[in-house]
Amino acid sequence: MSKDVLIFVECKDAVPRKASLELLSAGRQIAEKFSSVLFAVVMGSDMKNAAGIVSGYTDKTIVVDDGSLAEYGWDLMSSVLEGILTKYSPAIVLGTSSMTGKDLFPRLAARFQAAMVSDAVGVDLEGDGLKIKKPLYGGKVISWVAPGPEAMLIATFRPNSFAVNEPGRNGEIIEEKMNVSKDPGITVVSSTKAGSKKVDLQEADFIICGGRGMKAAENFSLLEDIADLMGGRVGASRTVVDSKWRDYDDQIGKSGKTVSPKLYIGCGVSGALHHIMGMDTSKVIVAINKDPNAPIFQYADYGIVDDAFAVLPALKEELKKVREDS
Amino acid sequence: MNVLVFIKQVADTEARIIISSDQKSLEIENKYTVNFFDEFAVEEAIRIKEALKDVQITVCTFAPARATEALRTAIAMGADRAVRIDSTNFATDDPLIVARALASYAKIEGFDLILCGRQAMDDESANVGAMVAEFLNIPHVSQISRLHMLDAGRAEVENEIEGGKKVSEVTLPALFTAQKGLNEPRVPLITGVMKAMKTEITVLDPASSGTPFGPIDDGSSRVSVLSYELPAQRPSVRIIEGETPEEKVKGLVRVLKEEAKVL
Ligand SMILES: Cc1cc2nc3c(=O)[nH]c(=O)nc-3n(C[C@H](O)[C@H](O)[C@H](O)COP(=O)(O)OP(=O)(O)OC[C@H]3O[C@@H](n4cnc5c(N)ncnc54)[C@H](O)[C@@H]3O)c2cc1C
Ligand SMILES: Nc1ncnc2c1ncn2[C@@H]1O[C@H](COP(=O)(O)O)[C@@H](O)[C@H]1O
Repeated sequence: MSKDVLIFVECKDAVPRKASLELLSAGRQIAEKFSSVLFAVVMGSDMKNAAGIVSGYTDKTIVVDDGSLAEYGWDLMSSVLEGILTKYSPAIVLGTSSMTGKDLFPRLAARFQAAMVSDAVGVDLEGDGLKIKKPLYGGKVISWVAPGPEAMLIATFRPNSFAVNEPGRNGEIIEEKMNVSKDPGITVVSSTKAGSKKVDLQEADFIICGGRGMKAAENFSLLEDIADLMGGRVGASRTVVDSKWRDYDDQIGKSGKTVSPKLYIGCGVSGALHHIMGMDTSKVIVAINKDPNAPIFQYADYGIVDDAFAVLPALKEELKKVREDS
Repeated sequence: MNVLVFIKQVADTEARIIISSDQKSLEIENKYTVNFFDEFAVEEAIRIKEALKDVQITVCTFAPARATEALRTAIAMGADRAVRIDSTNFATDDPLIVARALASYAKIEGFDLILCGRQAMDDESANVGAMVAEFLNIPHVSQISRLHMLDAGRAEVENEIEGGKKVSEVTLPALFTAQKGLNEPRVPLITGVMKAMKTEITVLDPASSGTPFGPIDDGSSRVSVLSYELPAQRPSVRIIEGETPEEKVKGLVRVLKEEAKVL
């Protein structure tokens, strides 16, 4: 049986998301191991440009360009994917464990009776098959999971699970017309997009997270400035969200979002277990806290023990220099 | 109206988890709670009942006997009936098996509305809700933050989407998964707790009650856990010293650049 790999590419403003480029890079390694074909599927409205970028990574890029796919809906997307998975029958389907991925793939897995592994953070290609690394219990335990031999595997990964490689290919682009079917039971009344040009919190490489130690909503502008400078995002602890200083969208932790940026900086965050669960897969963790005994120092790589309000202006200046040099 | 709520009993955040020496199994300290997001689902069902009166709330779990406690918590909050589909001897690592067991029960009983949590805190998989909806061939909406019952068997829900919010009107029967913020779950009153103690909990054997959506026996599991391990330990923290905050920051930026190579 072939072990073809298919990547579901997510786009933002018709550009492939970084998380999808990561999957394309990882998918290449998997396809090489099994000497199989690497497919990608790009769907939406006006996707030519995105397909061009994606084809730099794949053997075959399937584009479904259809005005009725402009807005996301699991009903629309799953009907298209159903057609594609049936026609091309890949053995391994990879997606991002984004809001879209979490909404869409379980339905497809049930439709195809597929092995479903979600919210994974890595793969192991040593040995015969494919092993998937998936954290459990808020990251307290790591499990290694294998799909059954006959089943189609659908796996979703957290953003920042893989490095993005150089494209360097010129794969075939296949334009497909697929049946888009809508669930008659759902009518969208309205949808509001914050219209933010900023990266998603879960996809950000750089996160500076404020805790109760930031004292007030207006002080988060200090963090916003640094996040903007670094092309990253501001996160928040639950206490901050409960105090209405920041939106729930920004909350990192057990009852908020799970993030794994390259660099996480916590400012005035104590490091309660509930918070740590949402960020301990970050590559590098920095803590800024005036209390040397704050639990966050047990999880951090680097720490500054000082008043955040004295540290942050200096940090902004130093980071500005780094940016200007590069 | 019949409302069904799926709840899962999960290990508490504080519970100690020990990996067996062969790395094949986990030993979990006996500290369990109702899954964080499932409490919002139970609470929402109770609010619907309070508003519409003629509503019966059933809470259901696919779990071993220890989860009886979680069902009692839901009854104490205000659910009417509780059902435990016995999961002993089933491979609950495969979300399809869990979803088949739950969907089968829903199919046999028939429900107008199904609520569940957006994600379980132990497996963190966020699969079961949408899978059940797919088996039952009904619409679902993930991560709802508001629910409003309309007349004629419809509901209006708000949910979070990539970078924004969406409001949809959905024809029942439908399944919704609860996000934090949907409501404030109540703390059971002592009278509720008393009632819960006396409530009979139905226990079903899935093998005899039937599973119209496919097999759930061990052999039908599509995934297997090969091993468990502890996450890689970080080396202990390096505190960056300095006379002034500026000096500390300079030191920090230098190590981030030269040592950690993240700038
Ligand atoms: C079921 C459940 C789910 C939860 N989910 C989450 C979650 O998803 N995310 C989350 O974050 N929490 C969550 N929590 C809450 C969590 O347990 C903590 O209460 C919370 O993370 C604490 O937030 P904090 O660190 O901002 O505040 P605190 O714990 O109050 O810490 C403030 C810190 O700021 C420091 N500080 C004060 N002033 C300064 C200053 N001038 N300069 C530098 N440092 C300063 C203090 O030393 C202290 O360490 C959850 C709790 C429960 C029960
Ligand atoms: N074994 C189970 N019994 C009852 N409900 C469950 C079970 N597993 C998951 N659920 C429900 O499905 C939601 C999502 O779980 P999961 O897909 O495991 O993250 C949970 O919040 C529960 O509401």
